[in-house]
Amino acid sequence: MDSQILHIHQQLTNKEISCAALVQEKLEALKPNTNNTVNSLLDNLALELAAKVDEKIAKGEPIGVLEGIPFGIKDVYMVQGTYTTASSNLLKNYKSAYTATAIQKLLDAGAIPIVKENCDSFGHGSSSENTIFGAVKNAINPELVGGGSSGGSAVNVAKDYTVFSIGGDTGGSIRQPAGYNHVYGLKPTYGRISRYGLMAYASSTDCVGPIAKTIEDIRIVLNVMSGKDAKDQTTYASEEIKAENISDYSNIKSVGYFKDFVESDAIDPKIKADFLAAIEKIKAKGITVKELDFFKSDILVSTYYTLAMAETASNLSRLDGSNYGNRIEDKNLKESYAITRSENFSEETKRRIVGGNQVLSQGFSDEIYLKSLALRDAISANFEKDFTEVDIILSPVTPSNPPKIGDSLKNPHAMYLSDAYTVGFSLGQLPTFTVPQGTNTGLQITAAKNNDELVLKFANFLKDTI
Amino acid sequence: MSKIMTVDILSSIKGAQPSEAVNKLFEVIKNAQSTNNNSFNANHNNVSLDDLRDDVVIESSAQEKQIIIENFPKEKNGYLVVSKIIEE
Repeated sequence: MDSQILHIHQQLTNKEISCAALVQEKLEALKPNTNNTVNSLLDNLALELAAKVDEKIAKGEPIGVLEGIPFGIKDVYMVQGTYTTASSNLLKNYKSAYTATAIQKLLDAGAIPIVKENCDSFGHGSSSENTIFGAVKNAINPELVGGGSSGGSAVNVAKDYTVFSIGGDTGGSIRQPAGYNHVYGLKPTYGRISRYGLMAYASSTDCVGPIAKTIEDIRIVLNVMSGKDAKDQTTYASEEIKAENISDYSNIKSVGYFKDFVESDAIDPKIKADFLAAIEKIKAKGITVKELDFFKSDILVSTYYTLAMAETASNLSRLDGSNYGNRIEDKNLKESYAITRSENFSEETKRRIVGGNQVLSQGFSDEIYLKSLALRDAISANFEKDFTEVDIILSPVTPSNPPKIGDSLKNPHAMYLSDAYTVGFSLGQLPTFTVPQGTNTGLQITAAKNNDELVLKFANFLKDTI
Repeated sequence: MSKIMTVDILSSIKGAQPSEAVNKLFEVIKNAQSTNNNSFNANHNNVSLDDLRDDVVIESSAQEKQIIIENFPKEKNGYLVVSKIIEE
């Protein structure tokens, strides 16, 4: 079973490497920041934690599987005492007062945080260009974008700067950069992992998830982070996913795919051909493949963005420079709020806040916001029906290849449309997993709600099949 | 309350205007076929009354309080300084 985590664990326990040397090596690799993935390095904290792990090993004490494993954190998670900027001007000097639940669980398991990672500001973007730290460069071709919004996290994993990274996915922000950089990225079922301490973008679809180079590493990290948390009342208790439960995939009998996705004019011909070739390989293994009807891409994208903008307008209204953040003083409180927000938010963030306030306004809310909520219900109902007919839905991650750096900023509408294949599953709150296979930007595996185990199992099937 | 609130006021963003890129998205929703469905929010994330967290005050740690103070944009004698309240 491929696992970087287990491999390093073995090296540490066999004393082939020291934890301090391992962490130092990763920090040195991150320091030149060649791909603009680093917002801040956690070098002191990381080396201090590594020394403790080495001490335990020297004393002959057993260490846990994650103990001493260096990992990265998208810069939207609170880690007490560290800068948490959301890649924004507004919070460029903001320090977390507390630690996010998901991150705390990893710290409790002994994993070592080494870097806060670049991303689109507040998760607003699909390219990791809307950031004050410079556009994240793709791991495979640095002229292309790293994807977004968790671009820094996916690139760090792809370049082996971190063993795994924790991204955040609201409409595809883990899955798309994972696809663009040829690594694994999981958006679990909504509520499986606590959002406490994740800076809110759109609360009804925000998900915490791991990015890594192997399915086994995703499984290990997912298990540690999952679970009910009183601090996020949308969380639910889930069972541990055992390695042996995802290695035998013989009970997967049927796979569906949305014909609207592959028949769309927007899909790159090579991605389409490769996706259909993958489908043929699956059929050849005796699995029934079914074409499914689904909503048109423009409906999915518009429904998602309407709701996400409404939610982000509300969530970000707290950012006014009163209690924290880069306050700019003006003649009175109201003017101070306005100038602080105008000067400190990126153009994309402002566009989304304004859009959100538009659809929440009287006169627009019935026609747009409430209609989007009804469409979301219809999308969810469609998924429920589909999962009575198939075990898995397979789709490309993106319609096209990663754009060149600079192109998405020129055309925000085109950037929104590039999320066509990821946002539907976010609206459905379904577990969806990007695997670096099948097409140039990977494949997405989706199962019914709470069935995260099945997506990992099917990933193992694909690894052995295509 | 007869005042019309424009998006720049609602958003507290100076000179903000609706954008063409976003309006294109909204047009799609306006023109979408009605789903004839009035039961909003099928994605039920509401919490059962039996499962609410304890209604107790949890004291922040000294370190947490210290960092909150460090984050004050303007501070005087350990207190947060804010602008005068709007008078209108």
